[in-house]
Amino acid sequence: MLTLENLSKHFGGVHAVDGVSLTIHEGEIFGLIGPNGSGKSTTVNLITGLYAPTTGTVTLDGYDLTAMAQHERTAMGVARTFQNIRLFGNLTVAQNLWVAQNGHEQRRAHFLPRWFKAGGEHSPDIDELLKFSRLHSKRDLPASALSFGEMRRLEMARALASNPRVLLLDEPAAGASLEDGQLLAERIRDVRDRGVTVLLIEHMMELVMGISDRIAVLNFGRKIAEGSPAEVQANSDVRAAYLGSKHKDEELIHA
Amino acid sequence: MDYFFIIDFLQSLVDGLLFGTTYALIGIGFTLIFGVMRKLNLAYGAAALAGTYIGVAASLAFDAPPPLVFLLSALGSGVIGILVYYCCFRFTPTHYPMASLLASVGMLLFIDEVVIHASHGMPFPYPSVFRDATIELGDVWIRGDLLFVFGICVVAMAVLFWLLYRTPLGLATRAVSQQPRAAALCGIDPTRVNLLTFGIAGILGGIAGAMTAAAVGVISPIIAMGLTVKGLIAVVIGGLGSIPGAIIGGLLVGAAENVFLLLRGVTERDIYVMLLLFLFLTLRPGGLFGSSAGRD
Amino acid sequence: MDFYFGLAQIIGVHTLLGLSAYVVLLTGQVSMAQAGFYAIGAYTPGAMTAMFGLHILPAIVIAGLVSAGIACIVGFPALRVKGLMLVVATLAFGEMVRLFFFNLTWQVERNGELVGPNGAEGFRAIRYFPQNGWEVWHVTVFIWIVVAVVMAALWWMDRSRAGAVLRAVGHDEIAAQSIGLNLTAVKVGAMTAGGFIAGLGGGIYAHTVTHIEHGVFGVLLATFAIAYPILGGLGTVFGTLIAVLFIQGFLIEGLRFMGDWRSLLFGALIVLAMNLRPTGLLGEHAPRMKHLLGLRGRKTETLESKEAN
Repeated sequence: MLTLENLSKHFGGVHAVDGVSLTIHEGEIFGLIGPNGSGKSTTVNLITGLYAPTTGTVTLDGYDLTAMAQHERTAMGVARTFQNIRLFGNLTVAQNLWVAQNGHEQRRAHFLPRWFKAGGEHSPDIDELLKFSRLHSKRDLPASALSFGEMRRLEMARALASNPRVLLLDEPAAGASLEDGQLLAERIRDVRDRGVTVLLIEHMMELVMGISDRIAVLNFGRKIAEGSPAEVQANSDVRAAYLGSKHKDEELIHA
Repeated sequence: MDYFFIIDFLQSLVDGLLFGTTYALIGIGFTLIFGVMRKLNLAYGAAALAGTYIGVAASLAFDAPPPLVFLLSALGSGVIGILVYYCCFRFTPTHYPMASLLASVGMLLFIDEVVIHASHGMPFPYPSVFRDATIELGDVWIRGDLLFVFGICVVAMAVLFWLLYRTPLGLATRAVSQQPRAAALCGIDPTRVNLLTFGIAGILGGIAGAMTAAAVGVISPIIAMGLTVKGLIAVVIGGLGSIPGAIIGGLLVGAAENVFLLLRGVTERDIYVMLLLFLFLTLRPGGLFGSSAGRD
Repeated sequence: MDFYFGLAQIIGVHTLLGLSAYVVLLTGQVSMAQAGFYAIGAYTPGAMTAMFGLHILPAIVIAGLVSAGIACIVGFPALRVKGLMLVVATLAFGEMVRLFFFNLTWQVERNGELVGPNGAEGFRAIRYFPQNGWEVWHVTVFIWIVVAVVMAALWWMDRSRAGAVLRAVGHDEIAAQSIGLNLTAVKVGAMTAGGFIAGLGGGIYAHTVTHIEHGVFGVLLATFAIAYPILGGLGTVFGTLIAVLFIQGFLIEGLRFMGDWRSLLFGALIVLAMNLRPTGLLGEHAPRMKHLLGLRGRKTETLESKEAN
């Protein structure tokens, strides 16, 4: 469904992403892991269009997204969350979802009601999403008044409000405890059960290994392994990448 | 295209390039402040003007010789620059750029009004040096006073480069402008660096103001607006945050201004300078030396 | 009595100017071009009523549309840059418009006299109101009806998705793009709406003063335009109105005995206000009733300190 072909991004001499090819199937949870600086976040930014790739293409269901602007990709069904949460703190919780409702149904509405109908944040769609995210009681609070965990949930709900086909979660467990991680795993499965394909970029191995259907591993911008969690765990290159880099760090510290 | 037109054209170009160094200095000042704070200080031109008036006050009060007038202008503007930092930037929130921007506009009005009240809005004579000396290159003359302006501005830039690239202070300034948080972790106090930057930028502005007044021979409050707008245009053309860009931009603005003065007359001159800016914004939004469009 | 009507007219016109900047500020863009759009709005209907005898209503609507059109055209190149570069670009645009009118001479003969913009002399005799028997209170009521309509429209917009979208873009452009908002469309839209409102204000201004000249539309007016909404706060349209009432009603008129010192006071007031209350009087982060009653959690502070980083 979502296909990356020979995708590269070079920042000057740094090859942040170097010839990565991936295919993500409809309805799966796909994990993308790798040590720090391996190019995971850059890959997300290439898929959503925040960066233009140096080479390669991104396609969704055969449609080439590479030349599209970010908002056009969202309209095609790509949504994301951010590693460092980016909510609209000046809007209420419900309004945060409302502005994101730019998806397919809304586009068919006429210009005036779509933009200038007041009070649209009380629609059933938004209520449903708020209940799904357990934020219903906070709907009229400013988003800036939420707790950290609530902000994460709101950001995921906002991404879902744009009615995506594929949701990119950029380190959703960053800053969360192990316990929260288990709740998060359930939430990600719930999202998948709504019919949204999930691309999960994560650091926390337990989370990714537990819920992903397939996993790809990046190191220094290159894909070094791909397969089921068990296959990836058994791969010697992956072990070397994770353990090897740790050894190097230790050497540096002791040197 | 007759011969005299070409001579006039070259003459305008030379005068403009020489005078353009003052815009370059103002542009460098904007860029320095932007570099360390990621903020625009719109009171900068007004501070330069006020500093220049301090020089005038000295020359009126005890008949100070021109070099002392220039020096006092520069130092006065530096002090006012630091004052602007405390009034507009030190205590306004960093994540809400509108606050410091509007505060600096308020400061611009305030300084401007103080100068107008203190001087009763009257233009004052300003010492001009080498007024009668000229160097003749064929039919193109290089005016001595403009050459002096050019020389002083170049010296100021050279001193600035020495400060930035050869002293610990410059190292700290460059560190803060590239990685503010990392610099703070290394024990560099950003407030002190900001303060020094405002002071240095203020001195550069004072020199630019003094040299503008010296080139014309009089000083009036009107020059603040010209300095501000032209300096900003120089920065945009060169790329916000780039010192070489500000220099090239300043020279370009000076040259363009004088050439359009010749071609279209004094009332229409600035329209074309602004059009030049729009051309750059459309074709090269990051400026000549800017890394990317619209980083802020 | 006429004095108070005159003051009410000034306040009304400046409210329109402030609201035009308010719309653009919601998207996080500081536009110093509002005085330019105001000038375009002043010269256009002035020309239409005085030179070609059009009725006032279509004249000011056309003024709004012309300003909106120019704002839209300028918006595209200008909004390719953002933040501080935009301040410079719009400042330059405003000056360009002013200088254009400084150089514009285009007069036609009407009823035996020459009317039309005449360069540095300005544009005299825009006498639609006296010629058609409008009394000063008619004009004042007319102005405030326009102001009320514009404020109601903006207040409504704030409760619609359009308003939320403007604020979303103003808060975080990257997040706004990620949820499918077209930044260029939103910003140019806001700029166009701002241009329209400034054009209306300028059109009315030209008819109340009967004589306009380029000097009025300088950087000082552009500063006023952005100062009203920033001082008043971007939380609601009423902030702008309160700021205009305070600055024009109290600072400029109430302190008339202070003469030229008022400009100095105005500058000092802005500096002081931005240090003490950077988000303005009725800012987005200003405590509202609900929060004062104790519903505002401690969590707010954690976010504010997070934003500061």
